[in-house]
Parts: sequence; structure tokens; C-alpha cells
Amino acid sequence: MPGPIGLVIWFLGIALELSFVVCSLVRKSFLQYLFLNLYLIFVVVSSVTRFLVLRNYGQDSDQYMYCYYYSDLLLTLALFVALISLYTRVFGELKVKQYLYFVAMAVLLGTAIFSYAIVDRSSERLSTQFAIELSQNLYFVGLVLTYILWGAVMKLRETRTRLVQFVLSLGIYFSAYAASYALVNMAEQLGVVQYISPVLGCLLPLSWTITMMRHTEESRLATAQLVTVQR
Amino acid sequence: MSRKLGAIALAMAILVGAMGLKSAFTARAGSVLTANGSDPVPTKNPWPKKPAYTVHAPAIR
Repeated sequence: MPGPIGLVIWFLGIALELSFVVCSLVRKSFLQYLFLNLYLIFVVVSSVTRFLVLRNYGQDSDQYMYCYYYSDLLLTLALFVALISLYTRVFGELKVKQYLYFVAMAVLLGTAIFSYAIVDRSSERLSTQFAIELSQNLYFVGLVLTYILWGAVMKLRETRTRLVQFVLSLGIYFSAYAASYALVNMAEQLGVVQYISPVLGCLLPLSWTITMMRHTEESRLATAQLVTVQR
Repeated sequence: MSRKLGAIALAMAILVGAMGLKSAFTARAGSVLTANGSDPVPTKNPWPKKPAYTVHAPAIR
């Protein structure tokens, strides 16, 4: 089992994920942001499953490793779908839904083929290797897609506060994970770096919950103010 | 038709960008990047150990 700090961060993360779902139910926005809610519900379900596996078999067991990486792939796929749902909201008025779905499917298929090509030579545990590789590749695809979406938000002068803040939170979340990953690989011997990744996992549900609590669907924000140079 | 080709080109561009970023970040990485939730990462390495390479020198006769 992880130490007390690890457990506190883990349970805090689950509480924040649940709080977003509860907030969106209370604010009657559950169906409007259905895929964001579904993603966080999947995260909670996988966390509970992982906890049960961890309690029974331990953190260094094969069972926990398989449970963790297979559920991680499902969660990354759910996050990808949630990101595409944000795309459809941003581009909703342009009536390019079909085009968006086609690009999303092409990206997903391309990533899957690319991941398979990488692990093709690995003869043992092919499905596990494929799951991990696909999850990692989808993470970086998500990172690129979020920045493209942020560019579109700026270009289209999107003013819906919730939407803008959801996209920004996602961008910061992806970037922070990439930065922390680099840090972990550089300073692996430092004990504190093991907590960076779980703490970052708490930030996305926290920022989404704050957005859901503080702003209504009618709230508007001028994104132009963010990029205008003061003279 | 051109719209579909444009979509495929866009998808390929996104894929190339993402894989470029991945190469930059994971070039010397020994661990796996996972980014979902606050769960503790397994301590077991999922990558199988690479076989030790042995060099067989040709026999001198």
C-alpha cells in the first residue's frame, strides 16, 4: 500500500472527481457536459477498482500493474472523447460536426496503427504493450488537440466562460503532466517527485468543479482581453 | 472529396506533431507516462527486460 500522503492525495482526487459530477447535477448541467461527467465517473470507478486490487495484491503485483495500465487506456480514450465533445461545442455553430468526427476517427485510427507498429516486434505481453503505447500516444495527441482547440477558441472569440475555462484547465493539465514527466525522469532519486503526478491528477477535477460552481451556462468572458497588448 | 483529403491531412499533421512531442519527452525515459487520476503508479516496470547482448568473436585458427 502507498504511504499516508499518497492515500490522502488519492482519496482527495476521488472526492474532487465526485464533487464535479455532483456540482453538474445540482447546476443541471450534467447532460450539457455529459462526456466530461462520464470521464470523471469512469475515473472514480477505475480508482475504486484499483484500490480493491491494490489492497488484495499490493502495489508491486502483476494484477495491479495490469489493472492500472488497462484501465488507464480506457480512461485516456474517455478523455479523448470528452475533448472531442468540447470541440463539437466550440465548433457547434459552424456546422462541421461530420468533418470533426471524421478527423477524430482518423486520428484515433492513425494512433492505434502507429502504436501497433511500435509494439509489433514485442512477442511477449503484446496486448499490454499495445495498451500502454496507445495510452501514451493518445495522451500526446490530446495535448496537441487541446492547444489547437485553444487556438480555435481565441480565433473564434469564444465567450462562454465555462467552455473557455474547461479548455484552459485541460491545456494546463496536459502541459503540467508533460513537464512533471520530464522532471520525474531527471530527478528520479528525489522522494518528493512521486507525489507530483497524483497531485496533478487532483487539479483537473478541482478546476472543473470551481468552474461549474462559480459560473453558469450564461456567463460570458472576453477572451480578446487575454491576448490584447496594453499600450 | 477534397474535404475528406483535407481531414486526413489534418489528422496526419496532428499525429506527426503528437509523436514528435512524445519523442522529445520520452527519449531518455525509463518510466511510463500515465495521466489519469491521482492513483499511485505501479512499482513494477511494465516493459519486459531486454535480452543481454553477447558478442561472439570469430574463432581464430
